[in-house]
Amino acid sequence: MLRSVSVIGIGETRMGKLTSKSIRMLIKEAGNKAIEDAGIEKERIQALYMGNYNASYWSIQSHIGALASETLEIGHIPTIRTEGACATGSLAFRQGLNAIAAGIYDVVLIGGVEKMTHKPIETITTGLASAADFEYEVNLGSTFPSLFAMIANRYFYEYGDVRKEMAMAAVQNHDNALLNSNAQMHKKITIDQVFNGFPVAHPLTVYDCSLVTDGAAFVVLAATEVAEKIAKKRVVEVIGTGHAGDSLTLAGKKSITTLEATVKAANEAYKMAGITAKDIGFAEVHDCFTITQIINTEDLGFFEKGRGAKALAEGKTALDGQIPINTSGGLKAKGHPIGATGLSQINEVVTQIRGEAGARQIKNANIGLNHNLGGTAATCVVNVFKGR
Amino acid sequence: MNKKATIYTYSIIYTASEDFKDQTPYVIAIVEDKDSRVLSRIEGYEENKEIHIGMEVELFKTDESGNPIYKFIN
Repeated sequence: MLRSVSVIGIGETRMGKLTSKSIRMLIKEAGNKAIEDAGIEKERIQALYMGNYNASYWSIQSHIGALASETLEIGHIPTIRTEGACATGSLAFRQGLNAIAAGIYDVVLIGGVEKMTHKPIETITTGLASAADFEYEVNLGSTFPSLFAMIANRYFYEYGDVRKEMAMAAVQNHDNALLNSNAQMHKKITIDQVFNGFPVAHPLTVYDCSLVTDGAAFVVLAATEVAEKIAKKRVVEVIGTGHAGDSLTLAGKKSITTLEATVKAANEAYKMAGITAKDIGFAEVHDCFTITQIINTEDLGFFEKGRGAKALAEGKTALDGQIPINTSGGLKAKGHPIGATGLSQINEVVTQIRGEAGARQIKNANIGLNHNLGGTAATCVVNVFKGR
Repeated sequence: MNKKATIYTYSIIYTASEDFKDQTPYVIAIVEDKDSRVLSRIEGYEENKEIHIGMEVELFKTDESGNPIYKFIN
């Protein structure tokens, strides 16, 4: 990076079915929390990057950048909305990061917001499906869960049946979420419950799917040289970042059991940070479905290809494991407010590195990453964070 | 029209989007024909029908977008 960049503030809403909260209210709550956490005057913020996936469809509200700057009373600064399916939040983060690294700004605010639960399930399903190829996939009747269900069935064929370990991923994420007051789910589940849940798209049941969530998450970024002068809490540096793409269609991918966008984004981030996957202490990975969590831990280089499920079953990804995964509860149990998800992951990584995670605090949280996928892995962002 | 392809992977859909909610359960698959793969809907699914990767299916028709629709071979 041309210039070192660090996180100095984080803030998020509780995730869930927040019927009484509008998009504006979610932005106000999470945005102000992040600004207060950074301990800065609003006048210091030079630009705002907002991630929002689909308020244009679910709430007939576009132009979220301007809506957020007005709501947060941060004046005439430049704003922009990013969209890259479920990777939307991390894309907003990267735009802010790049602008500071390039020397354009010293302090920026980055936010993500999504309001989903007010719509019927078919409308939510259609809105989500538009992150796939509408002409060649959705028009044929495929849904988002069905695309990842096809990834799961192919994975079973190539590497063996990991249905049970997929269920264990859901159980583990629910266990972690029990310790997170911001999580949508505070309910212990069992492997049998996962197996016997409503069959959304075979082999996935409803318990293999991430949640439909309302929520917002924000981050304040600053040039590290500035951060060290103004930050009120431990400065968390972004030591590496990567962003890669792949075909929009699932059928267009060379492999659907190794997600190439993850491999490429991770390698770019590790190279920039001057580290390897072995140096990562913990990670928030994009568990849109339970199979994805297993594949991600392989593609990020934590475990060999085909061994992610076994590692999970052995407890290696648990809170007290070798590399804790989704300490927040992940998309599965903390929640998946699409445009806010990447930033909520970053909130968790920073919380852990600061040592503020309470009952779910892991030991030696010094280097962690967030991994955010969009579509059927057509977009991927990986960021690596280190405490200073 | 009896062009055949094999199932590369598949799923049986129980929760559909607005346009397909009346047709559940139905099968979606990626089918492989020599080296090319395309997404397709496979017509003729009945509850508890055995489906597996590598299974042959037969071209049934092409939809308005030019997408192939296959069917199970009985």
